[in-house]
Amino acid sequence: MQGTSSGIGYGLKYQARCISDVKADTDHTSFLTGTLSLKEENEVHLIRLSSGGNELICEGLFSHPNEIWDLASCPFDQRIFSTVYSTGEAYGAAIWQIPELYGELNSPQLERITSLDAHVGKIKCVLWWPSGRNDKLISIDEETLFLWSLDCSKKVAQVQSQESAGMLHNLSGGAWDPHDMNAVAAISESATQFWDLRTMKKTNSIERAHIRNIDYNPKKKHILVTAEDESGIHIWDLRKPKVPIQELPGHAHWTWAVKCNPEQDRLILSAGTDSTVNLWLASPSTSDEFTAESLLDSPTRRIDPLLSSYSDYEDSVYGIAWSSREPWIFASLSYDGRVVVETVKPLLSKK
Amino acid sequence: MGVDDVPLDDKAKRMRDLLSSFYSPDPSMSSPDTTSSSSKRTTLDDINSSSFDPDQYMNLLVQKSNLERLLQRHVEMAAEIKNLDTDLQMLVYENYNKFISATDTIKRMNSNIVGMESNMEQLLEKIMSVQSRSDGVNTSLFEKREHVEKLHRTRNLLRKVQFIYDLPARLGKCIKSEAYADAVRFYTGAMPIFKAYGDSSFQDCKRASEEAMAIIIKNLEGKLFSDSESIQTRAEAAVLLKKLDFPMESLKARLLDKLAQSLADLQLNTEEISNASVDPKDLSQEESNPGSAPAATHEASVREFAEAIRAYRIIFPDSESQLIKLSQGVVTKNVTGSCFFRHFEAIEEYVKKRICSTELLHVLRIIWTDVLLMDEVLDEAALPNYSLEAAKVAVKQYVASTFSRLLHDISDSLTRVHVKQKEGMREYSLQTALEASKKAVLQGSMDVLLDFRQIIEDNLELLVQLKPLIIDLVQEGFQDFFGALDDHFLLLSGGNNSVSQDQGFVEGTQVDKAFAGLVLVLAQLSVFIEQTAIPKITEEIAASFSGGGARGYEHGPAFVPGEICRIFRSAGEKFLHLYVNMRTQRISLLLKKRFTTPNWVKHKEPREVHMFVDLFLQELEATGCEVKQILPEGLRRHRRNDSNGSTNSSRSNPLREEKLSRSSTQRARSQLLETHLAKLFKQKIEIFTKVEYTQESVVTTVVKLCLKSLQEFVRLQTFNRSGFQQIQLDIQFLRTPVKEIVEDQAVIDFLLDEVIVNASERCLDPIPLEPPILDRLIQAKLAKTRDQNPVTP
Repeated sequence: MQGTSSGIGYGLKYQARCISDVKADTDHTSFLTGTLSLKEENEVHLIRLSSGGNELICEGLFSHPNEIWDLASCPFDQRIFSTVYSTGEAYGAAIWQIPELYGELNSPQLERITSLDAHVGKIKCVLWWPSGRNDKLISIDEETLFLWSLDCSKKVAQVQSQESAGMLHNLSGGAWDPHDMNAVAAISESATQFWDLRTMKKTNSIERAHIRNIDYNPKKKHILVTAEDESGIHIWDLRKPKVPIQELPGHAHWTWAVKCNPEQDRLILSAGTDSTVNLWLASPSTSDEFTAESLLDSPTRRIDPLLSSYSDYEDSVYGIAWSSREPWIFASLSYDGRVVVETVKPLLSKK
Repeated sequence: MGVDDVPLDDKAKRMRDLLSSFYSPDPSMSSPDTTSSSSKRTTLDDINSSSFDPDQYMNLLVQKSNLERLLQRHVEMAAEIKNLDTDLQMLVYENYNKFISATDTIKRMNSNIVGMESNMEQLLEKIMSVQSRSDGVNTSLFEKREHVEKLHRTRNLLRKVQFIYDLPARLGKCIKSEAYADAVRFYTGAMPIFKAYGDSSFQDCKRASEEAMAIIIKNLEGKLFSDSESIQTRAEAAVLLKKLDFPMESLKARLLDKLAQSLADLQLNTEEISNASVDPKDLSQEESNPGSAPAATHEASVREFAEAIRAYRIIFPDSESQLIKLSQGVVTKNVTGSCFFRHFEAIEEYVKKRICSTELLHVLRIIWTDVLLMDEVLDEAALPNYSLEAAKVAVKQYVASTFSRLLHDISDSLTRVHVKQKEGMREYSLQTALEASKKAVLQGSMDVLLDFRQIIEDNLELLVQLKPLIIDLVQEGFQDFFGALDDHFLLLSGGNNSVSQDQGFVEGTQVDKAFAGLVLVLAQLSVFIEQTAIPKITEEIAASFSGGGARGYEHGPAFVPGEICRIFRSAGEKFLHLYVNMRTQRISLLLKKRFTTPNWVKHKEPREVHMFVDLFLQELEATGCEVKQILPEGLRRHRRNDSNGSTNSSRSNPLREEKLSRSSTQRARSQLLETHLAKLFKQKIEIFTKVEYTQESVVTTVVKLCLKSLQEFVRLQTFNRSGFQQIQLDIQFLRTPVKEIVEDQAVIDFLLDEVIVNASERCLDPIPLEPPILDRLIQAKLAKTRDQNPVTP
C-alpha cells in the first residue's frame, strides 16, 4: 500500500495548497502550482515531467504578488491560468498569462490579463469549464456566484451575471459540470447547490453538511463525488440526490480534496489532512441500476475499495491533480510545499 | 330227454360223445376219454382218426399180432361194432322223436295265428273311436279353459292394483312402525308400475306414496345424520337411501359439511385451550399443568370427531370405492387437512404471543394426539405427514419468532436506556444499558437454547422426527440472528429515525441524531458478543445441537461462529470509530464556529481565555464520562514511539533528511525550513494510531483528532498579532487539562505546538505574548473557573 518508490518529488520554497494540471499542454505532462506564504514573495511554478518520466523539471518560475489560495489552469490555453489570492486582509482573483519564455528562465513577471474584481467577500475559487473552449468563467465567493465572460485577446472580463446564494450559506467551493456547460455545483455549509447558469437559479441540491470538495465524474454524466470533513467520500447520482450511491471511508482526519480520474470512471483520488493520498476504486455499480445492485452485492462491498494509500507526506495534503495527458499520473501537493508525482499504472495493470 | 341220467351214466356219456362228434366237424375235438385208449397207439391204429387206413391197420395188425390175439381182436371188434350199431339206432330214434314234436308245435302255431289278424283289426277300430271321442271332449272344453285363465290373470292384476292402492297406507304403517326396509321394498316393487302408469291411472296413488316416501327419506336422512343413532342403523339407512336412488353425492357432501362444521367447533375449542392454557400461567403461575381440563374436553371433542369420521366411512363403505376414495382422499383430506392447518395456524398465532417451549410442547402434544386419533380413522389422508410438515412450519416459525423476540429484547434494553438518557439520567444509564444489553444477549441466547433443548429432548414422535431439522433451524437461527443483530446495531448507530435504511447505514446523515453514547455501548457490546457470548453459545450448541445434517454437507454447518466473530469484531471497530467520529464532529463544529466567526485580522488584544476552550473541555469531559462507564481502563502509558499498528506517521526521520537536502538545494532556506529543522530533532510523532478499547485510547484519539482539526482551522485563517496571541493563550490554557486526560502526552504537546506554530505562520505580525502576561491570564481564568464551581478543586 505504501507507494513510496514511484514518487517523484519536487520542492517548493514555501507552503502551498494548490496544484493544477495544465490540460492544454498536449506535448508534456505539466502542472502549475502556487505557494501560500503570508510574508514572503510567492511563486508560481510550472513544472513538467521529464520525457523519461523520472524527474520533475521546473519549466517556469514566476513571482506572484500574493499568497495563492486557488489556482486553475485554463483548459484551452496552456499559458493562461487563474489564481485566487489573499493580501492578508482582502481576497482577489486574477487571470494570468505566462509570458513567452524563449528558453530563459529569468523572466519572472507574469502578465495579468485581468482581475475579477467584482467580489466583496472572500473569494473561494475560479472555475474554468473543464471540457473545452468556453469564453465563460465562474468565480465563487462566500456568498455570490459570478459568471464572467472573458476575452483574452482584449484582456477584459465582464460580469455577465451574478447571483447571491444567500448570506448564511457560506459557499466554500464548486465544480463545473463537464457534461453541461450550464450546470455548476457550489458547496455551502449545509448543502451542495446546483445552479443553472442561463437562469442563475438553483435547480437541485444535495442536503448534506460539511462538504469540503466536489468533483464531477468526467466520464459519467450525473455522477459526482464529494469529500467531507469527518465522514469520508460519497458518490452521488444527481438524479437521486437523497442518498449517496456509495461511501468510501475517506481519511483518518479530514478528507480535503477529491478528484475523479479523467479516463477511468471508477478511479478516485483523495487527499487528506492525515498526510496521505488515497486511491480508490469505486464499485462498478455506479451505473443506472445501482440501487438494486448496491443492496445485493454485499460481496463487492466487502472488497476493500482502497487501492493504494500514499503516506509519504510530511504534512496535510491539500492539492491533487490528475494529468489529463497521462491519466495514470497524478500530482499531489502537501502543505509543506512538496509536489509528488505518482503513477498508478502498476496498480491498474494488476486489476 | 335226460330221464335216465344217472343209471345210464356210462351210456349217456357215450351218447354225448357221439353226438358231439356228430355235430362237431373236427374229430380232434372229441373228448380225450375216447381217444385216451388209442392215443398211445400210432395214428394208424386210431380208428377214430380221419386218416385211418383200414388196410394198413389190417396189415399192421396181422403182422404184429398172433392168431390168438387176432381172434381176441376180432371178438373185441365185433362187440364194438354191435355197440356202435345200437348207439346209432338210439340216436336216430331220438332225433326222429324230436323232429316229430317240432312238427307238432309248428302245426299248433299255424292254427293259432289265423285268429290274430281279426283281433288286431278290431283293436285298431276301437282305438280310433277312442281318439275321436277325446278330440271331441277337448274341443268342447277349450273355450272354458281360456276364460278361466283370463280370469286368473285379471285377478292377479287386480291384486297388484290393490297393492298399489294400499301402498300409501302401507307405507304409512311402515313409517309408524319404522319398518323402513319393508317400506323401501314395497316402494321399489311398485316403482315399475308407477313408472309405467304413474302419470295417468295411479296419479293420486303415486303422489301419496311419493309423499310417504319423502317422509321416509327424510326420516332416513335424519337417521343418517343423527349422531345418536347407532352406526349400524345409520349404515342401513344409507343403504336404503341408496336403494331409493337418492343422490348419495349430495348426502356425502352434506355429511362432510357436517364434519367440517364440527371441525370448526373443534377449532373454537382449540382456541379456548390456548387461551385457557395461557391464562392460568399469567394469572397464577400454575406451571404444573396449564389448562388440563380444557385439554381433556378438547381431546373428547376430537375423539368425537374421529368417531364421526369412522361412522362416515362405515356408512359409505367402499362399494363405489373409487368415488368414495376420491371424495375421501380429496375432500376429507381437505377438510381434515384444513382442520389441522387451522390447528397449526392457531399455533402460529399462539407462537406470536410470548410462549415458552413447554407451552409449545404442550400444544404440539395435543395436536399430535389428535393427529394420531385421526390417523387411526383416516390413514389415506396421510395426516401424520401433513402434520409433520405443518409442525415443521410451526417450529420454524417458533424459532424465527423466538429469535426476533430476542432481537427485540436486546434492542429494547438498548433503546430504553436511550430514552432514559434523554430524560437526563446520565450518570448510570450507559453502564446499565451496557449491562442490561449484555445480559439480554447472553441470558437471552441461553434461554433460547434451553427452550430449544427442551423441545429437542422431548420424546414426542413428531418432534423426534423433526430433530435434525430443529437443530439446523436453531443453528441457522443463531447465524441469522447475529447477522440481524449486527444490522440492527448498524441501524441504531445510523440513527433511530433513519429514513434511508435501504441504502445500508448512512451514518453520516444521521450522526447528529444517533446518540453517541449508544454507539459506544454498541461498540462494547459487539466486543462482548465476540469475546464472550459467541464462545459460550458455540459451546452450548456443540453440546446439545450437534448433528442435524438435514442441510447436506456441502453447505457446511449452519452456525459459523468464526464468521460471526469476524462480523462483530469489525462492527465493534466500526462503532468505536463511529463514536470517535461523532464526538470529534461535535467538537469540530464548535471549533469551526470559533474560527470562522471572528475577523481574525482585526482581532482585539486578548484579555482572557476564550470561552470555546470551556466548551471544548466540557465536550471532552462528557466523552470521558461516557467512556468511563463503558470501556475498561487501559494501562496509562507515556508513549513516545512505541505505538503499534500505526497507520500514518506525521514525521519520518531518515526520509525527511534526504528530501530536505534535495529541497534545500533548490533554493535558499527560509523560516519554514527552520521550523522543519526544529521539528526534525523532535521524535517522530504518530498522530493517527489505532483506537483501542480503553478509556484512554478513545479519549486520546478524540483529543488528537480535535487538535488536528484545530490546527487545520488555524491554517485557513490569517491573524493579526492579537489574534495570534489569543490562539497562543487559548492553547496554552488547554495544555494542562488536556494532558491530564490523555494517554500520550508527547503527541498532544506536539499537536498543541503545531497549532501555535501554524498560527504564527498565518500571522502577519507574529509576536507572542510575554510569558508573565500569559501566565496571569491563565491564572485569572483558573480562578474564574474555581469561582464558578467552588466544589471542584
